[in-house]
Amino acid sequence: METVCVLGAGSTRYGRLDESLVEMIANASADAIDDAGIVPGDIGAAYISNVFGIADKQVHLGPVIMSRLGIPEKPSLSIESACGSGSVSFREAYANVAAGFYDAVLVTGAEKVTHTTTAWTTTYFAYCSDFFYEGSAGASFPGLFASMARAYMTEYGATEEDFARVAVKNHENGLLNPKAHLRKKITVDDVLGSAVVASPLKLYDCCPFSDGASSAIVCNEKFAKEHGGKYVKVIGSGRGGSPSALQDRNHITTIDSTVSASKAAYKAAGITPKDVDFAEVHDCFTIAEVVNSEDLGFAKKGEGIGAAREGRTARNGDIPLNPSGGLKSKGHPIGATGVGQVVETYEQLTGAAGERGIKGAEIGLTHNFGATGASCAVHIFQSV
Amino acid sequence: MSGQKAFSESAKSGKVLLAKCSKCGELHLGTVMFCAKCGSRKFDSQEVDARGTVATYTIITVPPDGFEKYAPYAWVVMALDGTDLRISGFMAGIASPDDLPVGVRIRVTGDDERGVIMERD
Repeated sequence: METVCVLGAGSTRYGRLDESLVEMIANASADAIDDAGIVPGDIGAAYISNVFGIADKQVHLGPVIMSRLGIPEKPSLSIESACGSGSVSFREAYANVAAGFYDAVLVTGAEKVTHTTTAWTTTYFAYCSDFFYEGSAGASFPGLFASMARAYMTEYGATEEDFARVAVKNHENGLLNPKAHLRKKITVDDVLGSAVVASPLKLYDCCPFSDGASSAIVCNEKFAKEHGGKYVKVIGSGRGGSPSALQDRNHITTIDSTVSASKAAYKAAGITPKDVDFAEVHDCFTIAEVVNSEDLGFAKKGEGIGAAREGRTARNGDIPLNPSGGLKSKGHPIGATGVGQVVETYEQLTGAAGERGIKGAEIGLTHNFGATGASCAVHIFQSV
Repeated sequence: MSGQKAFSESAKSGKVLLAKCSKCGELHLGTVMFCAKCGSRKFDSQEVDARGTVATYTIITVPPDGFEKYAPYAWVVMALDGTDLRISGFMAGIASPDDLPVGVRIRVTGDDERGVIMERD
């Protein structure tokens, strides 16, 4: 297998954007190509992740993007895996470079939904659930995670205030990220006083619907060295799956796909969770970050909430989670999120994260899942 | 009849359609096609009383399309009596967590445009 590297990265701002879906993808892709110091013709193939292209009247995105980049003859693949689309797409890029099919590929994720109504997004996002068992009985996405939150509170004695601290921490991180959607300091009282969306989750426990696109150039090490730019190595890659419906999980507050994906990635990298200097994790809701911290091995089961309460997951804590601001503050353009985590990790490990940089970080982990964790991919990166 | 349709028909009469693996005896919901434990695709189907306890739930105040007129309502995961299985459904008239403590007894009473319908038992 080839050693796989990330040679360049680019991202639009996350938030409410005027550009079309296609323009966002083209812009982020061009930025990643420029950042890598290559030209589009150097790319062997592209992987484009997106969920609701239909909202901006464009599906079959791959060839449209290749045409805009002046390489219409290059193959492309459009990928949908709900909120985990970006990381799954990155995994396909990784696997194809590792296998030697291509020296370098482009991976871009994007979403554009803020021009639709909350009713539209709530309805369409529910299609990412196991609809026969969940969406058809009125479950919304916040509702599914709220059910996980209530189970966690019942089992481990966590409080709504504990969850609120996760939102406060991620907003503090996002304040330092010029591309974040919600750059606003909030307090525990702000979270507790915000409107209930699906009890026990309130508006400020939920990430926003965002527009945005993120891109990375994935290549083998020979290509990276020849092209001279800063690069990081992908030292571990893991995928996993869980029952699509919450009701069928062994344990409602354990996401099996995270456990199996991270175990595979740690094994490939030859490291343990203790070796990770920071992680970008899928905090679509505050409860999710707590569960993730346990499933990724940063805290024991039931102790993730204590880690959050004690500030262990803050930027200056022993395992900083979401230095970018995470989905909560940086934003969640669902098809882009998994690639956006790679962009953040690349910037952190190449000294380009500015004020939000984690001092001395050498190993970063990305964790992104689809729906309530039915699909998941975890990647581990190391500075060179 | 498709597995999903048969499952919904059972729910209409307050039952849950189960599939017991003919080979290893593992119990599944009726929509299963291969046994998750042994891989067999032979099952004996059985209908059981859809009674159990609240495993977890949420009260939805921002509903998806079609549920606006019912909000607030609860979306509930029920632990099915005598099994390790759970099923999910809709419950009307729940406005506050005090209305539905975790662990309280509930049952399935129907299936309509709101999906599987549950009520306090």
